[in-house]
Parts: sequence; C-alpha cells; structure tokens
Amino acid sequence: MGAEEAWLLAAIPAGVFFVLAIFGRALPRGGDYLGVAAILSSFVLFFVVLADFLDTPGKIGPVINDVEWSNIGESFDLRMGIYIDPITITMFAVITTVALMVNIFSIGYMKGEPRYYWFFAVLQLFAASMLMLVMADNLLLVYISWELVGVCSFLLIGFYWEKRSATEAAKKAFVTTRVGDVGLLIGIIMLWKATGTFNIQEIIHLVEEGHVGQTYLFAAVAFVFLGCMGKSAQVPFHVWLPDAMEGPTPVSALIHAATMVVAGVYLTARLLPIFEYADGALLMVTIVGLITALLTGFIALAQTDIKKVLAYSTVGQLGFMFVALGAGQPAVAMFHLMTHAFFKALLFLGSGSVIHATHHNQEMDKLGGLWKKMPITGTTFFIGSLALAGIPPLAGFWSKDEIFVVLNEEWGIWAVALLGLSAVMTAFYTTRLFIRTFMGKPMDQHVHDHTHESGLVMTGPLMFLAFLAVTAGFVVFHGVGKGLGFPGGMTEFIFLPHHGPHKYHFDAAWALASVVMGGTGLLAAGWMYWGNSTAKSTQLAESQPGIYDLLRNKFYFDELYQAAIDRGMLGFSYVVSWFDRYVVNDTGVDGSAQVTGFSGGVLKYLQTGRLPNYAMAVAMGVLALAVVGLVVRG
Amino acid sequence: MTATEVLWWIFAAAIVVTSAGVVFSRSVLHSAIFLIGSMAGVGAMYVFLTVEFLALVQFLIYGGAVTVLILLALMLTRSDPSGRPEPVNGSQLPFALLVGISLVTTLAAVAIDTVWGAPGEPANVAITTVSDRMFQAFGVPFILASALLLVALIGAIILARQEEGE
Amino acid sequence: MVPLENLLVLSAIMFSLGVYGVLARRNAVLILMSVELMLNAVSLNFVAFAAYLDPDKVLGAVFAVFIITVAAAEVGLALAIVIRLFRNRATSNVDEAAIMKW
Repeated sequence: MGAEEAWLLAAIPAGVFFVLAIFGRALPRGGDYLGVAAILSSFVLFFVVLADFLDTPGKIGPVINDVEWSNIGESFDLRMGIYIDPITITMFAVITTVALMVNIFSIGYMKGEPRYYWFFAVLQLFAASMLMLVMADNLLLVYISWELVGVCSFLLIGFYWEKRSATEAAKKAFVTTRVGDVGLLIGIIMLWKATGTFNIQEIIHLVEEGHVGQTYLFAAVAFVFLGCMGKSAQVPFHVWLPDAMEGPTPVSALIHAATMVVAGVYLTARLLPIFEYADGALLMVTIVGLITALLTGFIALAQTDIKKVLAYSTVGQLGFMFVALGAGQPAVAMFHLMTHAFFKALLFLGSGSVIHATHHNQEMDKLGGLWKKMPITGTTFFIGSLALAGIPPLAGFWSKDEIFVVLNEEWGIWAVALLGLSAVMTAFYTTRLFIRTFMGKPMDQHVHDHTHESGLVMTGPLMFLAFLAVTAGFVVFHGVGKGLGFPGGMTEFIFLPHHGPHKYHFDAAWALASVVMGGTGLLAAGWMYWGNSTAKSTQLAESQPGIYDLLRNKFYFDELYQAAIDRGMLGFSYVVSWFDRYVVNDTGVDGSAQVTGFSGGVLKYLQTGRLPNYAMAVAMGVLALAVVGLVVRG
Repeated sequence: MTATEVLWWIFAAAIVVTSAGVVFSRSVLHSAIFLIGSMAGVGAMYVFLTVEFLALVQFLIYGGAVTVLILLALMLTRSDPSGRPEPVNGSQLPFALLVGISLVTTLAAVAIDTVWGAPGEPANVAITTVSDRMFQAFGVPFILASALLLVALIGAIILARQEEGE
Repeated sequence: MVPLENLLVLSAIMFSLGVYGVLARRNAVLILMSVELMLNAVSLNFVAFAAYLDPDKVLGAVFAVFIITVAAAEVGLALAIVIRLFRNRATSNVDEAAIMKW
C-alpha cells in the first residue's frame, strides 16, 4: 500500500454511491453507516498515502500515468493518471476530514428527513468526484470531475425539491457555474490545441519552454479562470452561492464552504505556472479576488440570515485565496484554503446545529442568547468566529496574516489596504453574527424555550473541527511541520519548482497590523451589538437608508442580472424569434414550398395528357440534341 | 448503271411512295395496305443486300402477321358507325411537318456528309451463319426475346379480355 | 451496287415519314403503323451498315431479327391497348384519351 493506491480514495465512495443509490432505500437506516464507512476508509487511506508520500523524499509526480483512455490515431492518444504533489495532499486532507465530519454530523442533522439514503448516496458521489478532481493528472479528467461535483452540488442544493426556492436555487447554481464552465472548457481546448496534450504537467512544461504565444496563452488562461471564478463564486458569479444555502446545512458546510467551491482555487493553484507565464493573468486574479473580498464583505454586513452571512463570508475568503494566488503564492493560498475549510465547516455545522435545535430557524432576528442553551455549539462557534475574524492564535490568523505579507511583497500597500478593509468587515460581521445568535437576550422567547443542545453525533464533529480551527494554523511553523513530516512547515511544503519554497518567518509588525484589523472589526461589532441590541445598528441603517438598502439588496446583483436577462436576452430572443418566424419560416420554409407550389401550378399545364404532344416533345428534343451534336462536332 | 441498280432505284421509289401513302392517306384501311407495300419494299432491299433469310422473315412477319393484326384491330375499332367524317390530322400538323422535314434533312445531311470508311460490297450471308450466331453468341438474348413474346402475348390477352359486367 | 449513302438516305426518308405520322395523325392504329415504319427504317440501317462496313456482315441481320421480334410484341400489346381504349371510350382517337393530366 502506498501512494499508488490513491485512486482507492475516490473509488470506495464511488462504489458506495452506487450501492446506496440502488439499494439504499431498502437498507436499515438508509445505509448511512456505509457512507460513513466509505469516507472513513478514504480518510484512513489518506494517511497511508500521506505516510508514503512523506517517507519518500522528493516524491512529487505522477503515481499512475499509463492508463490508456482513448486512442484515436497518433495525434490523439489520451491517457489518464493520478498525479500527487503537496497541493493534492493538502486537498486530500481537507476533503477527507471535512467529509468525514459532515457525514457523521448528517446522521444527527438529517435524521427523519425524506430521502435520507439519497442524501448519503450523493455525499459519497461528491466525495469521490472531488477526490478525483484533485488527483487527476489531466485537464479532461479535471473537467469531468468538475462537472460531477457541479451535479452533486445541484442535486444537494435541490435536495428539498418540494420547496420551490430550493429548485430555483439549484437551477441558479447550476446555470451560473455552467457559464464559467463553458469558459473552462474553451480554455482547456485552447491549451490542448496549443500543446497537443491534456496532461497538466506536460502543458506546464511546454508553456515554460515558450511553445505558446503570449496573447493566446493569456486568452486560454482567462477562459480557464472564468471556470474557476464560476466554481469559486467570485464576482460577478458570486450570486449562486448565497442561494445555494437552500440545501441542507451539512451540504453547505461540505460543498459550499470547504471543498467544492475551493475547486477554482485548487485549479488556479495547479495551473499557476501557466498563469505566471501569461502577462497580466496574476493581476487579473488579484483584482478579481480583491473585488470579491470587498463586495461580499459589504454585503454580509447587512444580512440577517445566519447561513447567508456565512455564505458571503465564504465568497470573501475565497477572494482572499485568489489574492494569495495572484501574489504567486500557491502555498499561502492552499494554507488559507485548509484553515478556512476547517473553521468555515465548523461555522456551518454550528449554524446547522442551531438550525436543527431551533426547528429550522436561521433568522438572526428570532435568535439570541443561545450560548447558555447550547454550550458546546456556542463555544465551538465562538472559536470558529474568532478564527474567521483572524484573531491569534487561531488558524485563520496565521493564514490571513501570511496573505497580507505576500500581497504586500507582490502588489504593494494599496492592495493590502483594500484587503485589510475586507478583513475588518469580516471580523465585524462575524462578531455580529455570533453576538446576535448566541449572546444577550433572545429575540423570540418561544423559539428560545424549545431550543436544546444537539446530540453527540453532531457536537462531536463540532469539537473535532474546533480543535482543527485552533491548531491547523500551526502547521506553518517549521517545528510543527517537522514533527508531522514536512520540515519547513506548510509554506515550504507547497511551492512552484522554479520559485523555490517561500520561507515563512514571523513578522511582528504584520502580525500586529493583522490583529488590529481583526480587533477593530470585532470591537466595533461588540460596541454596536453588545447584549444583542439592534438599537445602534437600526439607527445607523436609518441614517443612511441608501447605503443600507444597497447592502441589504446585495448591490442589486440579482436584479441587475434579471434585468440583463429581461432586456438583453429577451430582446435578443425577440430578434431571433422574429428572424425565425419571418426569415427562416415564412421565407425559407414556407417560401420555398410556395415557390414550388406556384411553379408547379403554372407548369402543370404543360401536362396536356395528349399523346401527340408528348411525342412532339420527344421528337423536338431528339432533333435539338442532333443539331447540338452536329454543331459541336462542327 | 447496271440492271440491279435500276431495279434498286425502282424499289426505293416504291418504298418512299408507299411509306408516304401510309402517313398521308386519309383512310386508315388504305394506310394499312400501303404499309404492306412498304414492308415488302424493305424486304426487297434485304434481298439487294443479299440477306435472303432476313428478307424471308420480313415478308412473313411484317407482310403477313403484323399487317393482319393491324387489319384486325382496325376492324375492331372502326369508329363512328354513322360515317361522320373526322379530321384525320391533329392540331399540331404544321409542327409535325416541320419536325419531319428537319429530321430528314439532318439525317440525310449526316449520311452524305460522313465519310464511311472503306466501303465493301454486300456479300452473300448464309442462313447457317446467321443461325449459328443467333443460337450461340446471342443465345441468351434469343431466349429472353422468346420470354418477352410470351409475356406480351399474355399481357395482350389480359388487356383485350372482356371483363365481367362490361 | 448503289453506294451506302443511298440506303441511308432512303432509311432517313422512311424514318422521318414515320415520325411525321406519329406526330400528325390522330388514329391510334395509324400511329402504330408509323412506328412500324420507323422500326423498319432502323432495321434497314442496321443491315445496310453490316453489309457495307462490317467484315462479318452477320450482326446487322441478327439485330434486325431482334427488332422484328420486339416489334411484334409491341404491336400485339399496343393493339390490345387500342382495343381496350376503344371499348372504354368508343374511339381510337388519341386526342380524346387525355385524362392523364392535371
């Protein structure tokens, strides 16, 4: 057993998916134990792969690469394989850990729900596709897994398909990401056309040797990045993620916070060498990340649905990761990806615990004062909030701090200022979320009275994730990394070969700045909402109604898209339908029929039915042919 | 001009006259009789070309069988018992004349204008030679021709049969 | 013996007369007779060519025999059709058998 068996990580959940999908209905308890067992085996196998990987110094690269997939002549020989490097390992860690926690949590959360077995089946399919996605060695396999996770996302957002809003949200998520996916497909085809291969490493190699023209490469990279933006819900594709909260909360934790939405970050990190060779691509990534982080920070300030706040926060944190990638630091991005996965999964599962306990209440306006009622959920949620706000020594602090450092090195202080503003807002709305949910007086006494702490099957994962949210940040240190098997810590574990590892060193000034940012937001929110009082915030909102409405309505993105579809798409459709009706149908189809009918109506009079007339026609024809023949012969 | 050639010219003139008689005669019955003359003239031409067997066949089948058949058909389809005179020619008579004259001009011009290689003289062809060729090289077409005749025979019977209720 | 051209012109005259008959006359039986004229002209052409130009001199006769055979079949069938026409419409005038039109 070793890294060569990595494919089993995906194969086991995939197999269990089929078993559950077909027989799950008949199994006792919907076969949830099979799902948990599958993920657990993937989790264990991950450690086998990890151990093998760490034991073999310099073992980066393909472990299986000779599986023939399709062979159409010399020019199109398609091979698939598995490629494992530190990025894949990090993704493995995140996916298997969070998936395991979510599966366990779901046993409690989904209890008694209809289609219980189906929920677990799709979770397995998702885990399999996601694991496949991160170990695929070629872009085609990436694309297939990419679409598969999209399908799982669609299925799980629309899990409560009896609710119209859920089906609408599922459709919206699918269509919005599809727009980006078309770009991804175009980008993949462009890269293939230029290099003749789908293999990621070969493409990178050929690009580094300068086989691809600068403009062409930028276009290809931009198209690929379009797919990443769609999947990772970056502005302007961010609109689908908050709506995706219609799905069951464990799904939000797994797919829409920790794993699937970071697929874009993963793919960008994987292809970062190509991005670097395309002039301007990194700047593009940085700008998209910055805009996303800022916009969603503002929007989250005015949201009252706890899951929506977390969703916007997720989009914003994904923006942070893209900013790190834009600074050319995959290690930092992957570091933040990992810490974020843990604390955001924790926050989502915590909110799931609250929602479960309050009988599907996720409006802050009806919550409050839950800490006493739900001590474990409250405490773990508190830890997650602090991690998200970037308060040391929790995980979020280390990764966010590192992003500021590399951003300053690469793009300068202006970018740090913008991102810092977003960080302040993150701390603010996180604190607001926590205070309004868990502290002060309950807003709705009835809801409060019926609330109770969740069982161990739900609090267990919370505690485990809380532990990770506290400790995951420490892997950045040399000592911790050395103890775990990768000396130098996280940032020296993942690096671009031609750059060499990025050496982490603790910078007190930046750490202080980071703490100030988090602390500002935290204290401001504390001052405004302390004791779950909305008096100050209501006053503020009323004094600035324009800004409040703008934030409350999410900068009117949905309305803008709706209007664009109504005006642009419907207008265009009107033109197309006019063209179809009058040009294609009336002129082309009916017209040709009418021409045929009319000419037939005229020409039919040539058919006299009289034998001599026909004979005459024949004779004249023969005569004409004879004359022509004579003339031609001369 | 030899006696044979004189005879040939006489027969050729006869063919032209009788053929014209067939198409220009006002009475269909006269046409049929002119046709016998025309057929016989062609048979004579075959004699001039020393293909006596063919001449014999021509006399027998055309002069005998076909003409009799045509006369029978005329008898069966004698139109208008009241004797009301009908125009014998259709409305496209002028065009028919035009086509006919153009055709004969063209064909004759081509025939005269063309250089026909080294012309040999007609030589006697024995009946046995014709029969050998017909039964050996053209055996299959010969059999098919007999099948054709049979089919035509049956078809003619079915077409001309008096159906029930008629 | 007369040259080949004489025979060809003779057959051309015969053929054209046949064409004229087919085109101009209205009686179906007469049209058939005109067709016979045309067929005979063609046969004459074959035999003449064979006699003058073909060293073998036999093929023309064979062709003529086949033409006579087919002509016999054709006359038999065509006359049956004419009789049928006459029985149905009391005429052998082709101008009046004009229902196969628009």
